[in-house]
Amino acid sequence: MDGGRDHRNTSAAAAAAPARAGAVRSGAQHLLDALEAEGVDTIFGYPGGAIMPVYDALVDSSLKHILVRHEQGAALAADGYARASGRVGVCLATSGPGATNLLTGLANAYLDSVPLLAITGQVPTSLMGTDAFQEVDVFGMSLPVVKHSYIVRRAEDVHAIVREAIAIATSGRPGPVLIDLPKDVANARAVARPVRQIVTRLPAAAEARLAEAHALLARAKKPLLYVGGGVGIAGAERELREFARLTGIPAVATLKGLGACDPDDAHYLGMLGMHGNPAANFAVQECDLLLVVGARFDDRATGRLASFAPEARVIHLDADAAELGKLRACDVGLVGDLREMLPRLVHPVAIRPWQRRCRVLRQQHAWRYDAPGEGIYAPALLKQLSEAGGNRLIVASDVGQHQMWVAQHWRVPYTAAHLSSGGLGTMGFGLPAAIGAQLARPGATVVCVSGDGSIMMNIQELATLKRYNIPVKIVLLDNSSLGMVRQWQELFFERRYSEVDLSDNPDFAELARAFGIPSFAIERRDQVDGAVQRLLREPGPLLCHVRIDARENVWPLVPPGKSNGEMMGCAA
Amino acid sequence: MSCSLVLALDRAEGALLRVLGTIERRGWDVLAVNAASDAQAYTVNLTLGGSRDPEILCRQLQRLVDVQEVRLVGEG
Repeated sequence: MDGGRDHRNTSAAAAAAPARAGAVRSGAQHLLDALEAEGVDTIFGYPGGAIMPVYDALVDSSLKHILVRHEQGAALAADGYARASGRVGVCLATSGPGATNLLTGLANAYLDSVPLLAITGQVPTSLMGTDAFQEVDVFGMSLPVVKHSYIVRRAEDVHAIVREAIAIATSGRPGPVLIDLPKDVANARAVARPVRQIVTRLPAAAEARLAEAHALLARAKKPLLYVGGGVGIAGAERELREFARLTGIPAVATLKGLGACDPDDAHYLGMLGMHGNPAANFAVQECDLLLVVGARFDDRATGRLASFAPEARVIHLDADAAELGKLRACDVGLVGDLREMLPRLVHPVAIRPWQRRCRVLRQQHAWRYDAPGEGIYAPALLKQLSEAGGNRLIVASDVGQHQMWVAQHWRVPYTAAHLSSGGLGTMGFGLPAAIGAQLARPGATVVCVSGDGSIMMNIQELATLKRYNIPVKIVLLDNSSLGMVRQWQELFFERRYSEVDLSDNPDFAELARAFGIPSFAIERRDQVDGAVQRLLREPGPLLCHVRIDARENVWPLVPPGKSNGEMMGCAA
Repeated sequence: MSCSLVLALDRAEGALLRVLGTIERRGWDVLAVNAASDAQAYTVNLTLGGSRDPEILCRQLQRLVDVQEVRLVGEG
């Protein structure tokens, strides 16, 4: 069920793997030694002036380095690697523009709680603060989007800092950590100082709080699970599904929570929120007890917060105490490890009428795929591809209308099978994330679903696919426009279309071939069966260019400022 | 509304920036700040203005790696 993700405690692994104790090594060598000792096998990067000592040391290292074609691609590939594996993703860049190009990837990882280690070269310490060539204060620039960061001042500290950084990135609520390594420190030779032991255990939930939660459960007539990305991060899918099975409590999921619940569970209602399934949104509005599991009341999930689940008491479970009460007050807050808390939360409930009501909602609002016309209906294609590929698929989605169609219509069997930029909404995420995921999970079939806007944000990574023959399948849904922005201009800006026309796109199939990637194009519904078969059977990288109707919108839609019960494109 | 906090921080590079940045990004005004340090730690006294729950801010500060302790010592 967890799809092979590795939820090991990296600090424990660190303790078991001794450094090259007592050896005089350069700072750059200590860096790579520490990564190897932590079990890192793959890093994504791009060389340049200030990071050259590390690239020199790489020649003698066992680490596999993936040369991307833009540093943002390195950060997002490391992000995809981490999401697909549950292990830290590592990226490497030089100072100045190399470092600033990582920032979007750091922000992406920060908002989605992804364990990422970014290592940047820096100008020599004697030049720091002098506006030297390719000097920027990336430590300062990245402060709002990292869990923690370091400037390494002494070569003897490098090894310990790397080990500590990985423990921080992967423990508690995971997140990105930056290490800025000045060139003179990378070149200096020293004996590594000992590694400080990092304690990463989460607190156990208090018995009294659990008793309060049980009392709320016992009284509830319409309880509902609101499941977020924290479940997958905690490796708690098994515990969540067992809780849902034992109690029979219906469930909805956020974008990042997709796959946490069994998609075939009769009590599962799908994604909630702005483009959620109406059954999920109506159930939230009707419930009298919300069990929030690893979710954070994001505005895309809640709509107008003041009218979100208006009748509900709230039990909130999270690894991060700072999420409790941040946006919605909770009646009972439980902080700790979801794997430990969920079994203790099980309590008898009597909710037959509510279960029946949710089944009716699910039937009433089942997705329909009988779109008129001969053109390709993207939701139907995505559903068909995901069902044909089954549990061996991992989908890495880009950002836009296609991202929401994936969220609505792709069958997600476990959380690490669905990679999506949820918090930051980073166009250009899909392709590098798919590359990272494929390298982390070589046995999986990784599909990148992108759009004609998003793919161009990191199109250069087709060269990385070719260089390493990474067998990612790209499904490029091309509506010749920035579809989500166009949809909003149509609905909320009186059809005053502004800078959304992309009808002068390149021929994407030709473009892929120019990079050495096989490709084909489809535009009629009767071509879908053959395309799905080819995508699932052909070895190696492949791009399928899918021309779709530019007028197609994502439905339903909760307009900005409205309650989730006020969906456009949905009959109540 | 104002509140007063006392923080103990590791004397680490960026620790003060991280704390002050978090406070402002989370919607609070820094009305007064007083900091002292020894070889191991900073002690920071802060008076903040804002309309959000100071308990939430304390938890957001507590999760910073450099922060040893956060105490809410007054609300007004």
